[in-house]
Amino acid sequence: MHVYLNTRVSLFKSRLWPEAQVSELIDVSDAALPGLLERRGLRQLAGGYADDDPRSLEARIVAILLEETRILLRPLTGAARQFLLYWIGRFEVSNVKSLIRAKMAGESASATAARLLDLGYFTHLDADALMRAEDVAELMRRLERTTYAEIVRNARQAFEESHDPFILDATLDRAYYDGLIRRARAIEPEAGPGFGRLMADLIDRLNLVWLLRYRFNYGLPPAQVYYLLLTPGYRLVPSLLRTLVGHDDLAAVLAGLPEALARPLVGAAAIPEVSARLERVAMDHAGTLLDRDGHPLARALAYLILRESGLRDLRGILRGRRLGLPTGDIRLAAGV
Amino acid sequence: MFKAKPMLKVELLCLASETQEMALLLARHGGFGPAGKAGVASGEHYRELYLEAAARLDKIMEYCGHHDAAPIPDDAIAPNERELAGINHRLQEIWQACSGCHEQETRMAEEKERLAMLRETYARLSTLAVDPARLLRRDGLLDTRLGQIPAGNLKRLGDALSVAGYLLTVFDRAGDQAFVVVAGPRSEDGQAANRLGGLLTQAGWRDLPVPPELRTDPSVAARYLESEHGRLEAMVADHCELRQQHWQQHALWLRQAAVLLTLARPLAESSLLGLSGKGQLAVFSGWVPEGAAGALKEALAERFHGRYLLVTHAPGPEDTGKVPSLLTYPAWLRPFTGLVKSYGVPRYGEFDPALLFAFGYVLLFGAMFGDVGHGAVLLVGAMLLHGRLAWLRWVGAAAGLASIGFGLLYGSVFGYEALIAPVWQSPMHDPTRMLWLAVAFGAGFISVTLLINIYNRLSAKRPGHAFLAGDGLAGLVFYLAAIAGLSGLLAGEGAGVLSAVTAGLALIAMATWAGREASGPVGERLVVALVESLETAINLFANTLSFLRVAAFSLNHVALTLAVFTIATGLDTMGHGVAVVLGNIVIIVLEGGIVAIQALRLMYYEGFSRFFAGDGVEFRPLKLVLQEKRSGA
Repeated sequence: MHVYLNTRVSLFKSRLWPEAQVSELIDVSDAALPGLLERRGLRQLAGGYADDDPRSLEARIVAILLEETRILLRPLTGAARQFLLYWIGRFEVSNVKSLIRAKMAGESASATAARLLDLGYFTHLDADALMRAEDVAELMRRLERTTYAEIVRNARQAFEESHDPFILDATLDRAYYDGLIRRARAIEPEAGPGFGRLMADLIDRLNLVWLLRYRFNYGLPPAQVYYLLLTPGYRLVPSLLRTLVGHDDLAAVLAGLPEALARPLVGAAAIPEVSARLERVAMDHAGTLLDRDGHPLARALAYLILRESGLRDLRGILRGRRLGLPTGDIRLAAGV
Repeated sequence: MFKAKPMLKVELLCLASETQEMALLLARHGGFGPAGKAGVASGEHYRELYLEAAARLDKIMEYCGHHDAAPIPDDAIAPNERELAGINHRLQEIWQACSGCHEQETRMAEEKERLAMLRETYARLSTLAVDPARLLRRDGLLDTRLGQIPAGNLKRLGDALSVAGYLLTVFDRAGDQAFVVVAGPRSEDGQAANRLGGLLTQAGWRDLPVPPELRTDPSVAARYLESEHGRLEAMVADHCELRQQHWQQHALWLRQAAVLLTLARPLAESSLLGLSGKGQLAVFSGWVPEGAAGALKEALAERFHGRYLLVTHAPGPEDTGKVPSLLTYPAWLRPFTGLVKSYGVPRYGEFDPALLFAFGYVLLFGAMFGDVGHGAVLLVGAMLLHGRLAWLRWVGAAAGLASIGFGLLYGSVFGYEALIAPVWQSPMHDPTRMLWLAVAFGAGFISVTLLINIYNRLSAKRPGHAFLAGDGLAGLVFYLAAIAGLSGLLAGEGAGVLSAVTAGLALIAMATWAGREASGPVGERLVVALVESLETAINLFANTLSFLRVAAFSLNHVALTLAVFTIATGLDTMGHGVAVVLGNIVIIVLEGGIVAIQALRLMYYEGFSRFFAGDGVEFRPLKLVLQEKRSGA
């Protein structure tokens, strides 16, 4: 299993776009763009470049990720396989959220269907039946009879009491990542420190960004913010989180962070900046892990993280080009 | 029986104003399966209305507990879009009334459960040395609440409350619910909301009503619970009556609506698949079995008198993989087709494995479970199956007969080997021979599956795959050459140059094909070619060895009966009889179940997976059948 997965990941590594190639994508002419995408193995995106529907681009990116995950899943069994399946389940949780939002907005079933991602092999939900639920309460009860019962149950109870879409969204997110942490903890002893580091980068970033957003954008009290965070996290341990949620401004929170998290955030003044900087650090760690010898599952996860981030950058560039934004702006947004 | 029926591709043009009638005629004819792209905006809207209405009708019928429907009159016509919208609207109104009741019923059921828990909780609360009335006083120093939350949220809520200076204590648990006291310092303005926000709501908190007199007079709680219980019972009774009223009030109309929706269904289905058009013309595209085309032409001519154009032609290369498979079977084979379909549907033109499955499955089962007595019990047991399991009756009976047949060969009746003389031999008398026979059967079976796959690939006009792939001719040549070489080695005559060279060349052909088929850069192709060809080669032999289980289970069967007799021998006459009967029951139920699964596994994984992708499309004609019950999520 290890040899096959490692070889697969090493081969997949050539699909990641180095900065120079991303830069070329910004500078190339419109006529040459589909050819360039095709040469770099993104035939799926090349075909749809002229498409006016931005969602189809997202759907195609997800299709690429699903296909590559399916290949990486082949040699995996047991808890490692469960973890990767759950990891890719994010897209279906996103479908669950789309279904709920559509139902809240009273959208028609066909409009809702257009929003949903086609997950093919990874589909668990009968979206057709779910779309035809009469209201949010009925939808949630139906969802509780699916594989996402664990994630939806708490959200339904909270929503019934409050009818607050924010609570619903936050509870769903937290429940999903709680499940991810649980599955990761089960394989961390075997998958090694590299895997733990990837999870720490992801979970600590989410925790910090949620904390800042809930506390200072939504003005929630510290106790409620703490309840919405992922505990136990990694470097942001519960005792530290309890202290951090009590601070009254962003600077104080950042000052209270452990050294490893505080270093890249020196001078950060806004929440998006905090998120972007931590994401950059996480990508650097994933890149280093991918280049080194390590546990194949950790390398596979690093690859998937980098691939997803890379594809989303490409999406940004393609959208920017389609909207006719100046090259400088696209370059700035893409970070090249 | 070995292939799907020949199909004709159909394009049927008609006036757009007559699409509902045309769809209805096609459904009544029952031989037209829509296929291809759909693209009529009004059709999509019609379909959307139909689906909404059908889902609502299902829910209403399920809620009311009625599934009966009126028959469809021969001259009934389908509703038009406006009528369908009207039906949908009325169904929405009825369902809104029903769902309100349904939601309330669910809540009442939860409330009843909660009351049952409260009863126990109050009993414990009354024994605490705490006066709840004082505890919950609004003018006290403490902001205290009694409530229940899902037990899974306890730890997180406790930690979160500690951030606000609150303390959480569990004083009782029932099921997945925990009953807790939450207490913290009352703030100066008396408002805890600022410190807790929506925290408790988020944790699924529900207040626990505590009668103020609970401490002073425990019977108050009992009276409170009784009155709550009575109130709920009354509400439930009211709702049952309301449900009945709903049904009585709308029953006639709902039955008519079910018929109208059934009539609307053909057009709704076509709107998803096969119905396109522009302006005043509509086109139904799809497939018709060659044998049913004549009847369709007659029906069209009779109803539309030339106001249509029907074009039919045989499927071409561009239709590969799109032609639906219409599979028909004799009655005796049909019970087995469910097990084949649970694996997949054969593609049009592919070999249909139903017959091979039926014989293979029964043969393997009999070989692994050969006993006249056990087979007879299975036969009788299978014939008694009814209801949901009735479809298994003939499969079970065939397995029982095979078991009896092999029992005669093995000379075994309920494990007794002295009652009848074996026609062949008992498995235990020469286990090695049994194992060799099982492997030989496996090699033959796998060779047959490879031959079928070659046929399938050639039918699909993929000669490269048929000849060079690991599951094609190259794989078969490699497999047979390797078997010949291994046989020579085991016989002490050496592998033989011819076998080695043939196997090597076949392996190279397999690797070349795998590399050619792989996508990606050269390095990736090389790895894929190497890994996949080796994997194919190894799998062929691993799969052959899988058939050892046929011999192993036949031996196991004898060994189990021996174990039963060993236990029985140490007991008195009564005990002996009981042990033999119980032992045989265990063997029939447990071993019979395991062998049934193992035979299925062998057929699926060592057989089907080699030649049968199961990704064919079943021919689904438009039909006029009353609304099927749709499942939920």
